[in-house]
Amino acid sequence: MDKLIITNNSLVYEKFNREIETVFLDKSSLYQLLECVRDLVYMGHSLYTHPLSGSIKPNETPYKSVVISKKKGVLDVESVAIIEKSMDAALRFMKNYPTPPWTENILKDFRTVDLSLIENAVDRMGNI
Amino acid sequence: MKKLKVVHYINNFFAGVGGEEKADIPPELKKGAIGPGMALEAALGDEAEVIATVICGDSYYGENMDSARKEILEMIKDTQADAFVAGPAFNAGRYGVACGSIAKAVEEDLGIPSVTGMYIENPGVDMYRKDIQIIETGNSAADLRNSMPKLAKLVLKKAKGELVGPPEVEGYHMMGIRTNFFHEKRGSERAIDMLMKKINGEKFETEYPMPVFDRVPPNPAVKDLSKIKIAIVTSGGIVPHDNPDRIESSSATRYGIYDISGMDSLSADDFTSIHGGYDRAFVVKNPNLVVPLDVMRDLEREGVIGELANYFVTTTGTGTSVGNAKGFGESFSKKLVEDGIGAVILTST
Amino acid sequence: MRLELGKIFIKDVQFGEKTMVDKGVLYVNKQEIIDLAMQDDRIKSVNVELARPGESIRIAPVKDVIEPRVKVEGSGAIFPGMTNKVKTVGSGRTHALVGSTVLTCGKIVGFQEGVIDMSGPIAKYCPFSETYNVCLVIEPIDGIETHAYEAAARMAGLKAAEYVGKAGLDVEPDEVVVYETKPLLEQIKEYPDLPKIAYVHMLQSQGLLHDTYYYGVDAKQFIPTFMYPTEIMDGAITSGNCVAPCDKVTTFHHLNNPVIEDLYKRHGKDLNFVGVILTNENVYLADKERCSDMVGKLVEFLGIDGVLITEEGYGNPDTDLMMNCKKCTQAGAKVVLITDEFPGRDGKSQSVADATPEADAVASCGQGNLIEHFPAMDKVIGMLDYVETMIGGYKGCINPDGSFDAELQIIIASTIANGYNKLTARFY
Repeated sequence: MDKLIITNNSLVYEKFNREIETVFLDKSSLYQLLECVRDLVYMGHSLYTHPLSGSIKPNETPYKSVVISKKKGVLDVESVAIIEKSMDAALRFMKNYPTPPWTENILKDFRTVDLSLIENAVDRMGNI
Repeated sequence: MKKLKVVHYINNFFAGVGGEEKADIPPELKKGAIGPGMALEAALGDEAEVIATVICGDSYYGENMDSARKEILEMIKDTQADAFVAGPAFNAGRYGVACGSIAKAVEEDLGIPSVTGMYIENPGVDMYRKDIQIIETGNSAADLRNSMPKLAKLVLKKAKGELVGPPEVEGYHMMGIRTNFFHEKRGSERAIDMLMKKINGEKFETEYPMPVFDRVPPNPAVKDLSKIKIAIVTSGGIVPHDNPDRIESSSATRYGIYDISGMDSLSADDFTSIHGGYDRAFVVKNPNLVVPLDVMRDLEREGVIGELANYFVTTTGTGTSVGNAKGFGESFSKKLVEDGIGAVILTST
Repeated sequence: MRLELGKIFIKDVQFGEKTMVDKGVLYVNKQEIIDLAMQDDRIKSVNVELARPGESIRIAPVKDVIEPRVKVEGSGAIFPGMTNKVKTVGSGRTHALVGSTVLTCGKIVGFQEGVIDMSGPIAKYCPFSETYNVCLVIEPIDGIETHAYEAAARMAGLKAAEYVGKAGLDVEPDEVVVYETKPLLEQIKEYPDLPKIAYVHMLQSQGLLHDTYYYGVDAKQFIPTFMYPTEIMDGAITSGNCVAPCDKVTTFHHLNNPVIEDLYKRHGKDLNFVGVILTNENVYLADKERCSDMVGKLVEFLGIDGVLITEEGYGNPDTDLMMNCKKCTQAGAKVVLITDEFPGRDGKSQSVADATPEADAVASCGQGNLIEHFPAMDKVIGMLDYVETMIGGYKGCINPDGSFDAELQIIIASTIANGYNKLTARFY
């Protein structure tokens, strides 16, 4: 399987890590996670999902999950463009107002939505 | 009716203090209007008067941006001004950057409504257009009579707390701030109108211009490095100690070509950096940090590259207009091609 | 397909013994609506309240807004694949209670969103400040799973709208508009000299609270297809999208899609509106490539001269928008995009998350980051206690009297990217 999941969402880690290699950055902020994905892209991994998944803005939800290729190849310039633009967008929203200190109930909801978004994307990927 | 108090900022040249040789004078506050300030006062009419003028050398401001700004802010704070006008700077790059910088600071830090004015190619426009209204002017002081009234009108409006209108009405360069308004037609209707114009080859105006893709397509990769002659080109401001070509520390209007024959590395005794846009301490001690002559000589010796050109090309990047940068490139690339140079390494800071 | 849309103009809404329309007044039987919604055992309680234009009422958090409609003649019934059996719709005759809506409110997730102000300075941003709204406030049973609550609330809204819509069945409409799209070859023969225009309609399709359905099929699961424009008027497309209120396409907006309506207005005059290409906005990048390739292919295959593209949502859908733009242009069509913007509070940053040089013709639906003041209202339908956790609201933004400052993002459909509103943005 050529998938690698990068996530800071415990629900995603719990759901997938048995079948798919999952990197769980549980102390990372959303932006720090994007930085990690960017670094991996520059090392030759390709993006499989778009980092700006979901309509909940990057400064609202603290959770993000991204699927990248496990294998490394020649630098994928489209992935580079996408992750850089995503980081720009995330930074811009965070400049407006930083992620509020949500209650556990709300964090649970954000985790649930993030899981659904990545679950559906992984589902669409089939046997890759 | 009490007259509104306006403070004016001008440079050494417009103050009549002197030309380039006086570009390093520190800021000074004088009473009343000086030079073009009189045109400003005339344009302000009965509603306001120029109570003071700040004069500052363009190089001084450019090379001491933080301290100059703070100093000038203190001077202006004491005047209890109601409004502030900087310039106009027309096409003078360093002056434009100074005007933009001080007008922004006066408005943001002191809360005093400010305005400035510049020609479209002035690098100060792109740097400060989002932060402060910059009235569009012609490219030289010949335009003073035409542009000063626009600066006066806008600053009065702002000082009185009136709403600033769109760029085409008030005469300032597009700031790039997305502002909502209600149109008489709904979006879908406007979109169909636009589509039919596009299909019929008529002129249409997009409501959201995409960012400009000013891309220069790169040349194909060098096939065999070991056979090619390479030159170093830098915008890091490395020059011989006496800066013989007087390259500016910002908003450069010239470039230089300097000999490095027989040198294994750039010595701090011969070369320095005059770039005003970064902390020069490390580079002044070791210019190879910006023009990597030492490493290039190693590569030349090892046969990794064919040959290193016996000169490097230099200018200052910070605040330098796109137009000028393009011009420099077109000019010295001719020499590079004549000298059989096949590739350049560009170092920026 | 030929559809006669009978518009019954609603001038007031009241509770009554019988759900019916009389002289332009819509009467609804409160208990019958409640009983209907309570048939779903995932729901703990339902309350029904009315909101009229001009009243000092704030409705929050809004989930979906639906226009009550009923199929009078022709194949199928309203909301096929959802509240009714799957059957192709879009022909015959349908009645719509224009000027009224059924809307759902509920705390599906802890972060709330979706405000409608029926009066005051914010009313101008929301189309539903001008409609007579039958509001269902839905509470789920305790401990219910989020997916289940979402589905329950969605179905309750559609069922209630269908029920209310039936009140228009035997009423003589005030206006009948005929919409007709003939099969492609026939229509090209009919207007051989007019440019062939298609509408590329991008449907939200990312997951929980981010879904749209076509005949009940989750848009994530399909690949680009071609639709008769009139199908949408019978509810073939329904919304399961409940986040980011400002550019949320409610079921009402699907039923009243402005691009379709405005293209029909010019159809046969200076353009030939051949139909709608439906596509989606999946998170999986290969899906984006696949679908945009197919959209381009359809445009080429059908010989389309011009295309309008609308999107729903922000962020990764902007990538689909640009891909569709690029490939339709490469397929030989002239393209215009309709989108909304998020340039930051100061309006100075990049408005759209992606860009392509082919996107040289864009209609803007306004920017959602602008902060506005929401004055206190006399009545709140729903709950206001979570405004601070609303998208667009922020900690400390709500005052004791109920007024608050928040971004436009928080208002339902204020910057909806299908061109329904007159709000737009320009550079200053």
